[in-house]
Amino acid sequence: MIVRPVRMTDLPALMALAQRAGLGLTTLPANQDRLTHRIRWAQRTFAEQVERADADYLFVLEDDDQQVIGISALTGAVGLREPWYSYRVGMTVNSAPHLGIRRQIPTLFLNNEMTGQSELCSLFLRPDQRRDSNGRLLSLARLLFVAEFPHLFGDKLIAELRGKGDENGCSPFWNSLGRHFLQMDFVQADHLSSLGHKPFIAELLPRQPLYTCLLSEPAQAAIGQAHENAEAALAILRHEGFAHQGHIDIFDGGPVIEAELSKVRAVRESQVLPLLVGTPDDDAPTWLIHNRRLESCRVTRARARLVSGCLLVDRLSAKRLQVQPGDLVRAVPLLATQAKAAAVENPRTALADA
Amino acid sequence: MLVLRPVAPDDLPELQRLARESLVGVTSLPDDRQHLLDKILDSCASFAANVQAPGPENYFFVLHDPASGQLRGCSEILAMAGFSAPFYSLRNRPFVSSSRELNVQHGVPTLSLCQDLSNHSLLRGFHIDPDLVGTPMAELLSRARLLFIAAHGSRFADTSITEIVGYSSDDGHSPFWDALGKHFFDLPYVEAERLCGLQSRSFLADLMPQYPIYIPMLPKAAQDCIGQVHPQGREAYEILLREGFEANHYVDLFDGGPTLYARHSGVRSIRQSLIANACPGPQSGSGRAWLASNERLGQYRAALVHLDEAPGDLVRLDPQTFQALHLQTGDPVRLVAL
Repeated sequence: MIVRPVRMTDLPALMALAQRAGLGLTTLPANQDRLTHRIRWAQRTFAEQVERADADYLFVLEDDDQQVIGISALTGAVGLREPWYSYRVGMTVNSAPHLGIRRQIPTLFLNNEMTGQSELCSLFLRPDQRRDSNGRLLSLARLLFVAEFPHLFGDKLIAELRGKGDENGCSPFWNSLGRHFLQMDFVQADHLSSLGHKPFIAELLPRQPLYTCLLSEPAQAAIGQAHENAEAALAILRHEGFAHQGHIDIFDGGPVIEAELSKVRAVRESQVLPLLVGTPDDDAPTWLIHNRRLESCRVTRARARLVSGCLLVDRLSAKRLQVQPGDLVRAVPLLATQAKAAAVENPRTALADA
Repeated sequence: MLVLRPVAPDDLPELQRLARESLVGVTSLPDDRQHLLDKILDSCASFAANVQAPGPENYFFVLHDPASGQLRGCSEILAMAGFSAPFYSLRNRPFVSSSRELNVQHGVPTLSLCQDLSNHSLLRGFHIDPDLVGTPMAELLSRARLLFIAAHGSRFADTSITEIVGYSSDDGHSPFWDALGKHFFDLPYVEAERLCGLQSRSFLADLMPQYPIYIPMLPKAAQDCIGQVHPQGREAYEILLREGFEANHYVDLFDGGPTLYARHSGVRSIRQSLIANACPGPQSGSGRAWLASNERLGQYRAALVHLDEAPGDLVRLDPQTFQALHLQTGDPVRLVAL
């Protein structure tokens, strides 16, 4: 398995994936023209021909039979071309001490605070391939890429996870809030959003803080909660140090998780090492390895051993990475060790984890 | 013959009886002896004050039955809302959102806390014995205040407002309160109204929602309360509508009941009232009904009279009426047809 930048020849495979993704992935529409445009734009991005504000690093996961079975993406920055909105969950405290009354009422503030940060998005893995850490490879390859080229990204990485809803595309959060201002149902709004109209939609939402106690019970419960289908992705990123700090999606209330780039585990703990080719033992831990290139980026996972300051991998892995023995690679263990995993949990998490 | 006059300290026991019987939402009549006494004394001071322009005065009237000594109702005018304490209400206006790109424009109805209604005179505290509801006595009790304003215009603003009690159930629940106020005050509706009666509403300023409330987000039962009148508030509501008052996009913070508004120059009893000089003379008692008041201040009196003929420069009144209205021959009498 390797993760590499998308190519135009991937178009048919992407169309097939888009059709399978269904309603869940607004950034992967099953539309030939739009996918073509996106691929072309991604290619220009990897060729370093676009500004950070427009950068779209679209990767694919390719198996050893050259089948594209998944995608993931990374933007250079959100909100620099058109506003990027979220709700921040806040609190008002009103008290009348002489009456012995004190009320804490959660509020939602519409804001653009994530402007300039880089967004992890477009994560999709074919359902029949969801095993053997394929998802982790697909997701974390991006983080290793960021570790190699931090100057291409913002101070923070964010990821917007799908919020609670049902199979019919109904979102209780939307029904209690957005629907009243846009007079359309969630599926429609989502579709318009995928066409790039989300900023216009956000402008129809009230700018003043909203009292969450006025939302329906299911809507309140949905705040900051990820959809079941997004829980695996959420767990992988939480493991890397991402946490929910109170920002939610304006449509479905799903959590916008975030991490300072320098504090992401894969970024912080990755090392640049010379590659050795040989036969790592079967108990060798799995590493995530990047060939340190941009336009011809390749990331793979492999059993590997640190040997005298070098990373020992098998011949096939070196071939997948298109590197020679002695070349420098960037690598990090696929999973944090137990002790390190505990330290990675962000103690400042303001809200309960999903 | 029932007479409307300013309240006096001796009225306290009767006032307490009225307070016990009044509607929950009529917060200006709480069942608290000290509070009622303070109100009486404040009213007396207001009538006695030498006023050039409206200030903190509150004019408290009672409907008195001289025969039985009982009070059958009461009503008040606050010279200026917001003078002594902030006057809060909810402004009901749509939040208009529009997007040219999406070709969407619509208004989402919104309630916003405000003090917009400061500086109007405030008619309030209307309470009448249940068996007088629907009778001309209710007209007298309400409209005599307007005749008083006509007589003493410099004591009031050019405009008046009134808050009509909103809907609550027989067991004291307000759906509007349950959907809104309760979240912020953590008190049952009845308790909140009671506290407001004892202190002015401004004490709750620390707790009120500062940000707009979007009406479609409220439960339907609460939405239905907006602008709704309590059945027992209907009389007061309709009397003032006939006087030319109109609903004006403001509702009560607690129960969502409507606020009515009018310029005095457009109020029927003020505009159409005429002054005639009183002279003694017989009346059959079955003539057309008029509301009549003297033009006095501390000795203000108003009553229902029946006149066989329309008043001109003079109006003939029988001895009983002379006495009830504290008139001497030749005194001005303000009259408006019922």
